[in-house]
Amino acid sequence: MNKLGAVIGFTYRNKTKTKAFRWTTLTLLLLLVIGLNVPYFIQLFSGQSDKDLVRIGIASGSYTEVAEQIRESMGKQPAKPAAGDSNSSSGAGMALNGSEQTRIEWQTKPADPAQLGKQIEDDKLDGYLLLQKPAAGDTFPSITYVSKKNNLTVQSMLQAAAQTAKVRSVTTGQLTEAQLDEISTPVSLTRIALDDMDRPDGQPSQLTLENYILVYLLIILFFISLTMTGNMIASEITAEKSSRVMEILITSVSPLTQMFGKIIGIFLVGLTQMGLYAAVFLVHLMLPYYQQVLAQFDIHIGNLSWEVAVLGLIYYVLGYFLYSTLYAAVGSIVSRTEDLGQAVSLLTVLTLAAFYIGIFSMTNPDSLLMKISSYIPFFSPTTAIVRIGLGNMPWWELTISIVILLIAIFVFGWLSAKIYRTGVLMYGKRPSWKEIRKAMKAYKI
Amino acid sequence: MNPLMLDNIIKQYAGHTAVDHLSLEVEEGEIYGLLGANGAGKTTTMRMVLGLIHPDGGSIRYHGQPYRTELQSMMGYLPEERGLYPKVKISDQMLYLAQLRGMKAADARQSLDYWLERFDAMEYREKRIEELSKGNQQKMGFVAAVIHRPKILILDEAFSGLDPVNVEMLKQVVLELRKEGTAILFSTHRMEHVEELCRHITVLRRSKPVLQGDLNTIKNSYPREKVVLRTSGQVQGLETIEGVTEVTRQDNGRYLIRIEQEQAAQHILQMAMSQGAVDQFEIKEPTLNEIFIKVVGSSHE
Repeated sequence: MNKLGAVIGFTYRNKTKTKAFRWTTLTLLLLLVIGLNVPYFIQLFSGQSDKDLVRIGIASGSYTEVAEQIRESMGKQPAKPAAGDSNSSSGAGMALNGSEQTRIEWQTKPADPAQLGKQIEDDKLDGYLLLQKPAAGDTFPSITYVSKKNNLTVQSMLQAAAQTAKVRSVTTGQLTEAQLDEISTPVSLTRIALDDMDRPDGQPSQLTLENYILVYLLIILFFISLTMTGNMIASEITAEKSSRVMEILITSVSPLTQMFGKIIGIFLVGLTQMGLYAAVFLVHLMLPYYQQVLAQFDIHIGNLSWEVAVLGLIYYVLGYFLYSTLYAAVGSIVSRTEDLGQAVSLLTVLTLAAFYIGIFSMTNPDSLLMKISSYIPFFSPTTAIVRIGLGNMPWWELTISIVILLIAIFVFGWLSAKIYRTGVLMYGKRPSWKEIRKAMKAYKI
Repeated sequence: MNPLMLDNIIKQYAGHTAVDHLSLEVEEGEIYGLLGANGAGKTTTMRMVLGLIHPDGGSIRYHGQPYRTELQSMMGYLPEERGLYPKVKISDQMLYLAQLRGMKAADARQSLDYWLERFDAMEYREKRIEELSKGNQQKMGFVAAVIHRPKILILDEAFSGLDPVNVEMLKQVVLELRKEGTAILFSTHRMEHVEELCRHITVLRRSKPVLQGDLNTIKNSYPREKVVLRTSGQVQGLETIEGVTEVTRQDNGRYLIRIEQEQAAQHILQMAMSQGAVDQFEIKEPTLNEIFIKVVGSSHE
């Protein structure tokens, strides 16, 4: 146990001491800080500029009343137009729309199209609404937005405003103001999983935007840290082999201690790195101005499910140990660092597969592929978490999945330790599986 | 009970035998020489002693007991392909290796200071291995092998690649360890070191022990076949003496004469004395080098 601690400590200290490690960590931290603050900076710098100001004129002809209504309802429009996920502002109001914001400035006086066209040419206007006599039978005028630029946000805002105006004009006098308001509010449609119907409040248990983001982050975290630390483990072991310090090491510590010491040491290195990023992230989440930014996206940290977070971490750690023992085994059979890339390619493919199955099934978490994958130990760290977070995974399936994963860790850990024990004594070209088996027999391992 | 006892060990790799029925014993405070051409099975033997690989037959006993993991802290190893972490500070990796051998951090630090002092290498303490010359790297490898004061020390080609000053320094340390009772298994290609340090040797040829035992007994069992003769003038007719196979005269006036029987030496001396004054006459003992070439060299024919 003492020796295991020594190996862990030595691995950790040496890895974190290297210049390469410090610089990459620092650079990534800096990028993260910048990335997290981009929305804020854009708001700060472009908030008052005219870049997102859209100036619109109106050629109302004989429909001045309709034009007035469009303008009015544009001003009342909530910060959620028909353009799906993108938020935008209206009228004089201002709201953040991710990284952009749109303000609309109306030209109060109606004018005739030729005059407005000239103003657009002169760059005094961005576009104008042309109200014309409708097709036979209709009373509401046909509306055209004339503009040089194709601005979808503005168009959808206008569309919504015009729709409201139409309802008003068609139902003139028959409805109260409150009724009109209700009509203009978009219908909200949400999905609830069948199982969640049993809940007293009928609320979806976990399917929230926050959990979606959490699952997404967990998968990416798993993939990135696994490729990074996995390769670190393999190359550390190969380096020890090629510098021949391995011969001294294997005579002082048992290979199992050595291998797991290395794996845990590098795991802690990765954890330190991830912890730093997480800390920066959390600090941002706490900052008051950032809360506002999140609120614009309708994200509330309180909606995060602890269940998903905890299970995600469990799967992350288990998955890490499964893969890293294999990385260690591969590192031990290679004698030179140059040959390593080729040797780990199979593992890279496995991690990539786990990553893509997870990411691409996030919209369809209960497919057969996902059900099967969540029992396969190499894929379950990503797929099971998608099912837990975004789909349905009964507790017994979860238990089976984790038990299979644990068994796989023991089996592959045992196998890797054997390969490691043999591999570290074999120098020269990369041995084939047959040669390794032969060597295992010869060494009586 | 001797610290190290190998009894008829056999090791086979895929059809060929790497070590064939080797037995040897290393006493406390003894340096045992393991000799042999490249590929004769020395490293395999050492790896078996270290417990890295298990023999297919026979047994290895340490103080009379079979291998167990606790032995790791009692054994020291200087591998032939010596290596340390190239980019790690010497003090860091030495303390690490000492800890792996079961030392406490404080003891390890003390021991490291002692050995660095001993090797006159205190200034390298905070340096990295890659900054050191090859000879100094080797000294550090040696420090790594002995820092925990092993009871059984295995040195594979300990002195190769060192300048005479450093060889002398290392030799003194090895002798000091012997005095303290360390059992040392030692392999080298430099026969003069073996003659100087070892009491018992084993010569391996093609995996088999071909020559084994006390160094002096071995030397005495080989006939003395070389005569050195220095005279003031020339000596005529040396070739005609019975038993003389080869006469060479060196530039400094010395004769090197190879003989088949030892009696021939007396005839040489008589003949030389009859022809003038004899400055030097010596029947040379065979050197280990010659014995080695005789025993091992035949395998290359």
